[in-house]
Amino acid sequence: MNAYDKGSDARHGPAGPGAPHSDAAPPGPVPAVRPPAPGTPPRDSAGPADRPPGARTPGTGPGQDGGSGAHPGAGPGSGPDTGSEAGPGPGAGPPAEPRTGVAALSLRYQLGAAVALAVVAVGVCAHLGLTFLHVAPLNTVSKQHRETIDSWIYPEFEQNWKLFAPNPLQQNIAVQVRAEIRTTDGSSRTTGWYDLSARDGRAIDGNPAPSHTQQNELRRAWDFFVSTHDSDDRPVGLRGALSEAYLRRITVMRLDRADAAGPDGVVARVQVRSRTANVPPPDWSDEKIPTTPAYRVLPWWSVPGDESRGGIG
Amino acid sequence: MNRLSLALSRVIARVADSALGPHQTAVIRIGFSLTWLLFLLREFPHRQELYGPDGPWEWDLADQLVTTNDAFTVLLWSDGRLWFEAVYALAVLWSLLLLLGWRTRTMSVLFMVGVLSLQNRSVFMGDGGDNVLHLMSVYLVFTRCGQVWSLDARRARRSARARAGGERPRDRVGPALWSVLGFLLLLATLAGRTDGDPFIPALLWTVWLAQALWWLAGRRPRTGQPRILLDVVANIVHNGALLVIMAEACLIYATAGWYKVQGSRWQDGTAVYYPLHLEYFSPWPALADLLSASGTLVMLVTYATVAVQVAFPFTLFNRRVKNALLSFMILEHAVIAVVLGLPFFSLAMIAADAVFLPTSFLRRLGGLTARARGRLSPRRDAAPVPGPRSPAGRAAGETSPEAAPVPGAVPGPRT
Repeated sequence: MNAYDKGSDARHGPAGPGAPHSDAAPPGPVPAVRPPAPGTPPRDSAGPADRPPGARTPGTGPGQDGGSGAHPGAGPGSGPDTGSEAGPGPGAGPPAEPRTGVAALSLRYQLGAAVALAVVAVGVCAHLGLTFLHVAPLNTVSKQHRETIDSWIYPEFEQNWKLFAPNPLQQNIAVQVRAEIRTTDGSSRTTGWYDLSARDGRAIDGNPAPSHTQQNELRRAWDFFVSTHDSDDRPVGLRGALSEAYLRRITVMRLDRADAAGPDGVVARVQVRSRTANVPPPDWSDEKIPTTPAYRVLPWWSVPGDESRGGIG
Repeated sequence: MNRLSLALSRVIARVADSALGPHQTAVIRIGFSLTWLLFLLREFPHRQELYGPDGPWEWDLADQLVTTNDAFTVLLWSDGRLWFEAVYALAVLWSLLLLLGWRTRTMSVLFMVGVLSLQNRSVFMGDGGDNVLHLMSVYLVFTRCGQVWSLDARRARRSARARAGGERPRDRVGPALWSVLGFLLLLATLAGRTDGDPFIPALLWTVWLAQALWWLAGRRPRTGQPRILLDVVANIVHNGALLVIMAEACLIYATAGWYKVQGSRWQDGTAVYYPLHLEYFSPWPALADLLSASGTLVMLVTYATVAVQVAFPFTLFNRRVKNALLSFMILEHAVIAVVLGLPFFSLAMIAADAVFLPTSFLRRLGGLTARARGRLSPRRDAAPVPGPRSPAGRAAGETSPEAAPVPGAVPGPRT
């Protein structure tokens, strides 16, 4: 459907281009049964099926104002329409279909339709208005009605379309991890840093359909961690604690896959750090941007026993 | 004043008497269900890690988060492995059935249940594409998206033909499906599994009750007013939802565009270079280098992207400009799918774009698909061709059977 679709494009069922425009059909109870224009090629596999010819005409035909009966206050103008319930149109062999649409409704039912229309109209406007305020920058109106907006939007209509905006990310943020391995003979050793993001990157290279486990899992877990921790790496609220457990479980799972603990060891503790490096400016640019990476090193986390034994997915 | 009320009554008749955009709603139904189906199949090997009870975002963590945000997910009803596997398999099945348009309304509800259950279970796994699917799966429930290109439409044609031949086709599957689902919904409600945010449970109950009303009204005499009223209400709801879907697509582009306008990289014309050089979004580094080799080209693409995104909602008032921009955006999403390695995001966006495709184009597309399918398999039940196909048609003399009992008006199978 197009906003300016005026119905000129084959919207009128079987009537082909040369056939009389259905708006010109006689008003009043239109025969429910109309043969298609002779020789009219089937323009569409679903043409006659999805577009009841008899059903459309009454509403749009000139002088057929019965449709306005759906509007409260239109009143008795719908009188003649009730007659159309009487039955099949002229010349109908098989049991003809009933008419549909507001014009075929008695006044009492038209009121019901009017109520439905009003409810849907209000609902659509309210939903679109609240969604707009949710995606728009914080402003006078959304500050005043923040609770109303949030209570409608969350949890199912939450959305964020700042796609690569206001600026695209210009840094490669790699999450790296190292582990303290405890071996069966009681000794322990510390591994080198595993660059988990680089492994993701290699898995994505040449991959026409990267998995969410490669493209989103670690990247978004790190975002989640950063957004729920203060600058001293202390968790803020429940979400902070959840993000810590999540990030730890991801790293332990991946260390396990890389067989970091070896045959006789278990991962006792892990330490995570991020390495943030600017994307070098393009060759054709004369910008100068520092290329030394910045590190954010988190404290060591102990790994619970059930986790370290590889109980993860 | 008179003209105004005349115009108003036309608008009302238009939104009340028919479910507009049958092809557009069908194509987005196919588009979104296909995107989700392909995604689920692609992630099948990783399903445990993404949504399983023992994945990194384990059941207990998800449960703690969902307790605070009240999102709807059946995956947290049990932490059993079997339950998870069943839900995942059903989500695949439901998206396939929605794609085919089998019991479209019911499947659209179940499709939504599948999408929300998996996504709300592991919110930190998703990206923009998941977000689009999440919203659209809810909106689709309100539409009559199976009017064309669906098994429902085929069934409607068949039963119309049978009716014209004097038979009275009975539908046993519908009531059975309704009963089973109602029973499950009742169980879930009694067990207190739907005590979170009330919106989705209320929606499930509403659709379930509406289908009962629809069935009951259909058993009354065929000219029954209740049935016509329900049909009108369904049209109004469909048209409202279609408007919401289109507005949502405009909101996506407007937000993406207007926020970009404020960004210095979009202003200096280098923005497009950066995503191409992020480790997570560069599956083909050589291709990315090639595309960003020319500063002028990057600047042009950067500016065009912003201009098109900001302008798109306004072009809806002019068919030609809209179609030109639409092709540009579909093309851009196709490029994004490959170059940034975001095929499912792009597919979801293209499906959303498709709601603006012109009817004539969609009909041609449908015709081509039907012909291609016809070449592959013998046509058994293809387009209803006016003419002497059904014996009943000849019996009824001049009256073409296809024109008489129109599925759109037939009580039974329409969903």
